[in-house]
Amino acid sequence: MIGPSRVAELDMPAVGIETGAARPAQSYWNESWERLRANRFGMAAGALILVLALIALLAPVFSLITNVQPQSINLDETFVRPGLRHLLGTDELGRDTLTRLIWGARVSLGVAFLTVAMSLTVGSTVGMVSGFYGGWIDDVLMRFVDVVLSIPAIFLFILMSLLLRPNAITLAAIVASVGWGSVARLVRGEVLSVKQRDFILATRSIGARDMRLMLRHLLPNVLPVLIVAASLGVGQIILIESALDFLGLGIQPPTPSWGNMLTNSQSYFFRSGFLVAFPGITIFITVLASNLFGNAVRDAFDPRLKS
Amino acid sequence: MTQPLLEVQDLHTVFRTKDGVVKAVDGVSFELTPGETLGIVGESGCGKSVTALSIMRLQRPGRIVSGKVMFKGQDLTRLTESEMREIRGKEIAMIFQDPMTSLNPVFNVGWQVGEPTRLHNGWGAKRALASAVSMLGRVGIPSAAARAEDYPHQFSGGMRQRAMIAMGLTMTPEVLIADEPTTALDVTIQAQILDLLRHVNREFGTATILITHNLGVVAGMCQRVIVMYAGRVVESGPTPDVFAHPKHPYTWSLLRSIPRLDAEKHEPLRPIEGVPPNLIDLPSGCVFHPRCAFRIDRCTRDVPALLQINDTQHAACWVTQAGGELKGA
Repeated sequence: MIGPSRVAELDMPAVGIETGAARPAQSYWNESWERLRANRFGMAAGALILVLALIALLAPVFSLITNVQPQSINLDETFVRPGLRHLLGTDELGRDTLTRLIWGARVSLGVAFLTVAMSLTVGSTVGMVSGFYGGWIDDVLMRFVDVVLSIPAIFLFILMSLLLRPNAITLAAIVASVGWGSVARLVRGEVLSVKQRDFILATRSIGARDMRLMLRHLLPNVLPVLIVAASLGVGQIILIESALDFLGLGIQPPTPSWGNMLTNSQSYFFRSGFLVAFPGITIFITVLASNLFGNAVRDAFDPRLKS
Repeated sequence: MTQPLLEVQDLHTVFRTKDGVVKAVDGVSFELTPGETLGIVGESGCGKSVTALSIMRLQRPGRIVSGKVMFKGQDLTRLTESEMREIRGKEIAMIFQDPMTSLNPVFNVGWQVGEPTRLHNGWGAKRALASAVSMLGRVGIPSAAARAEDYPHQFSGGMRQRAMIAMGLTMTPEVLIADEPTTALDVTIQAQILDLLRHVNREFGTATILITHNLGVVAGMCQRVIVMYAGRVVESGPTPDVFAHPKHPYTWSLLRSIPRLDAEKHEPLRPIEGVPPNLIDLPSGCVFHPRCAFRIDRCTRDVPALLQINDTQHAACWVTQAGGELKGA
């Protein structure tokens, strides 16, 4: 009785890489993690984002050490070129560009992560409920998503910024108020396909309630697309946030953000190109790293790309 | 006769579609006595699975429009959803056709097999896993403790079906509904799973409803059999009697369409002509009459009821109810 089923097992394709002596339990997550780790570019990009996030977190420590605050003005040292005293130079008020970029990272990355977290929470809840229950609930929720996604985002942002006078949290809420729509659609689609599978019926047949089905049994199956959406979303939101700051609709000076540093520097473009270059390059590198990392995560986690 | 454990009475389940109302289960009645194995046979789409799902109240998007499912003195069709959840997995368990998709790919097998004890007994992770490992051992998974940590894709089809059976039996239910449990498996594994079901039936005393379109499986497993056609029961009785002397032309045709080792002469196999009827637009009278070799005038007009033909068998057929024989043709 035991023999043949052992033999039948050999027909299974070996999905994991290791088929060595000890057979490790290759869960979906282990496999995906292995695939992600094998992607050098992706891992480097991820590490860069991690470093940036760390730097942002440690900004106050940095200021403590150098004794330079992002707002500290020194009119004796305006438009200093990059050098030893000011690694990335100073602006028209003698503020240290490096310090401001580091503090700006707090805003830009903070808003990006917060926005992604909000979009994912709202979007996946709506998408899950919509896909799971179907029927009129699905109709109502998805039509609402259609409405949200057909509002021209930039006008909504402008209007809400005028009404709310944004700080990092309200700015994140404003961007997320549109961003959750596409997450909801994504999750709904995924739920629709997963809930057709027999294991959902089988789980019902052992007496699981809807809540448990959704959170414990469906959500882990949807998680890969959420992870992919999150990692690709970060770069996009950094761009949106910078654009809003640049237009003066986001974080207001004197609080430094990458976007409003650019706004500020455009008046002095001919005095010091560095003032434009450094925030620009920072945004560019961060977004590029986010996208590279996002793509790597998608290649590793998206079940549909598995061959 | 002993008191039935489960009694399905005149059950009607319908699906509303764009094209009309599909009567998937159209007045089905049968009973299941404790400890017995009852076979339900019929072609694909004759309502076997929907009958089973209706017993569990998992027939959505279909609706049970009338009829009763009596289980331990209560009518399951009238229970609230939360009362019904208490029955599912605890008193009545179900295993499904395709073990490849019946297990959740993101959890290891031990976790899933332990899920009923978490749901019904509120057991913690350790205790649930321990019970899962012991159940996996009892259904014949070798080195169960180690294999419990494996994920479904590391199990073969037969082992997955064993795991499904283990999950179904965790709460030692009184009724196990097996919906085509061997259809998706290859032949040697089929035999093992059937052995296991027979063993489970004996060891746990679980009454089993075995849904299949394989008459050989019924012959080997079931004391009694009911034959379904187009959402109705057309014949029922003890398996040996039904197989030896079918009293409904559909059963008769089914039996003639499969090869037998003990055939006396070299009879050619006779497929059943035509296709099962459209469940939205059923034929008048007896639903089988367009394909029936014994058809008489009355069959096209009046719907035959399932009536007793002899001591043990029931059939819904005007010909045999009038004392006619099913021979030749």
